[in-house]
Amino acid sequence: MNEHDLKRALRAEAPPAGFAGRVMQRIEAGETQPRPSRNAPQWWRAAAASVTLAMVLGGYATHKAVEYRRGIEAKEQVLEAMRITSEKVRYAQQEVRAIGTHD
Amino acid sequence: MRKFIISIALTLVVAVPASAQKINLDFPGLADRAEEVVDITLDGAMLRMAAKFFSGKDADERALRDMISGLHGIYVRSYEFAREGEYDRNLPNLVKKQLGPSWMPFVTVRSKSKENVNIYANMSGERVIGLVIIAAEPREFTVVNINGPIDMDRLAALEGQFGIPEFSKEKNDE
Repeated sequence: MNEHDLKRALRAEAPPAGFAGRVMQRIEAGETQPRPSRNAPQWWRAAAASVTLAMVLGGYATHKAVEYRRGIEAKEQVLEAMRITSEKVRYAQQEVRAIGTHD
Repeated sequence: MRKFIISIALTLVVAVPASAQKINLDFPGLADRAEEVVDITLDGAMLRMAAKFFSGKDADERALRDMISGLHGIYVRSYEFAREGEYDRNLPNLVKKQLGPSWMPFVTVRSKSKENVNIYANMSGERVIGLVIIAAEPREFTVVNINGPIDMDRLAALEGQFGIPEFSKEKNDE
């Protein structure tokens, strides 16, 4: 593109006849560009909120289930520990008692 | 500065017996040779969690719940072997060596044919704040370590419940 072409491209041009009138008519009529609908993303937001809520509730339920299982296991271990402890204590007690009887 | 040194010294005096309660119950390779192994490790947090699962309505469960709620830990290692001589008979001594001066021998049972049982109590004044049971027989080796204040009356009150043998009934029957 040479200087001549540039000048030609940038030269001032008069608008077509009636352009200004048509623009003013549209402004008076309140005609504007169609706006994107506000309703469109709302279902998407609701879905996102539902998924988030489901994830939070699911996570909480899983946490509670794991905690419940661990608690039950811990309880069983306590009972097993007490069973072993008392078994050994009882044996010791029996032996001590037996020695007392011999005396 | 003097107050600071005294507080550090007091902290050490209190902290040393507390840490001395922790007994190493790792016996490398022993579980591999055993036919049956019971390995229970319940620290304070686990005991508090377990306590939530004991019913508050049932008197027996409530008694056990109250007892374990104040404990810092219950540790059990029990190994049962297919044959005699599968474990080092010096293992009980390795446990005994770890017990500090506050540990008193409660009961010692020695038997050539049956089980040797040693029960030690960690005393703080007149309070029992720890219990170690070492039971060694030809084909079985068991160590129990209970950390924390132990109410012997409560422990005795558990007899006959949850599969725990009833000592006093047996005593009365004799």
